[in-house]
Amino acid sequence: MPCYYDVADILMEEELISVVFQVTANGVGLLDPGAERNSVEKGAKVDLPFWLAHGMLSLEQAVSINVPPCFTQKTRKEIQADAACVDLRVRCPYFYELGCKIVPLVGDKSIGQFLRYAFASRYKEILSKAHSSSTMTVPKFTTRLTKEEAQVFESARESMSAFRKWRVGGARLQKASILGRKRKTKLPDGPSTP
Amino acid sequence: MYARRASQLLKELDACEPGQLVVFNSDVFDQVIRECGEHNAQFQALIRKMVEQNLDIETTRNEDHYGAAIHHLSLLRNKRCLMAYMYNRAETIRSFRWKIGPVLPHEIQEKLNFSEKEYFRSHSSAIKSYISEMDIDLTVDMVPPKDPYIQVRVLEDIGEVSLGDHSVSLTKNSLHFLRRTDAEQFISQGLMEEFLE
Repeated sequence: MPCYYDVADILMEEELISVVFQVTANGVGLLDPGAERNSVEKGAKVDLPFWLAHGMLSLEQAVSINVPPCFTQKTRKEIQADAACVDLRVRCPYFYELGCKIVPLVGDKSIGQFLRYAFASRYKEILSKAHSSSTMTVPKFTTRLTKEEAQVFESARESMSAFRKWRVGGARLQKASILGRKRKTKLPDGPSTP
Repeated sequence: MYARRASQLLKELDACEPGQLVVFNSDVFDQVIRECGEHNAQFQALIRKMVEQNLDIETTRNEDHYGAAIHHLSLLRNKRCLMAYMYNRAETIRSFRWKIGPVLPHEIQEKLNFSEKEYFRSHSSAIKSYISEMDIDLTVDMVPPKDPYIQVRVLEDIGEVSLGDHSVSLTKNSLHFLRRTDAEQFISQGLMEEFLE
């Protein structure tokens, strides 16, 4: 259960979902750019952020939700062809989290299996790249990862570098990382003073 | 779009590295609070309209009801975003006390707003009074050292410092053999480093 203060969860709920209003709502013309009066008419198709769509749906089905394009057949076919090559971040940076939240709302059970398939087939690639690639550079393929996958990648990388550090040994006490930046700007004038 | 601005605050928070802090964005923060005021005003107006039409505001489901509901949801959303912004910053600020110590360097100070500075001071003094009550320094390294002494190299001129029963002159690039607990705070502030052969 995500926490009320969870930043990732809040940002995920900002993803736009296409909905159709089943009722008319006054005083919210801002939501529908095509509205003539300051209201959204019944039957209007509007893009709402997930939090609002979810809130309206729990309000006696005031809206009906269309499945976002990232979970449609087209994306599924692409994932089936070669999961690791699909750029999921462009489609939805919170692909998995949004998918989990959307399943109970649209009643399409196959989304769950699709998510699991997508994650399982991409996970191997992420992990092997995180462990083998150089720690100094950021590999090109990370731009294709969703936020959740990027987190997996970073954790794998961190654990790898922690392991290396443990094997080599070294200073245990270190400068607080928050002050790290200042140090870097000072480094260049270090060698100049003999 | 409603509550879009509030989510910008959190995007800012999300973009910076964990454990780091960016300058408190009081501009956007105030704008969001004003937005909340507008939502409230429109919400009240719609409810008033329903009352004037002699409708039962609890059971009526007309256009005004759904409009008011959207404004209500937007208010809750804005509130959640603002709370999360403050909460996550406060968490980072608390971690500073453990990582850096009771005095924050200037470049971090100027990223905090007034109430956050106050919060840091109070949190710091709360920890301090607890430590003195327990009579044990909780901010030192949690892993037991193999050797109570440590060899360090001084990175910046610190000057004359009294450690325990004697005073040491800590000049730049000098090597010292200090008690680990004495050296720890200098290392975490970046004034010394552990010297390894």
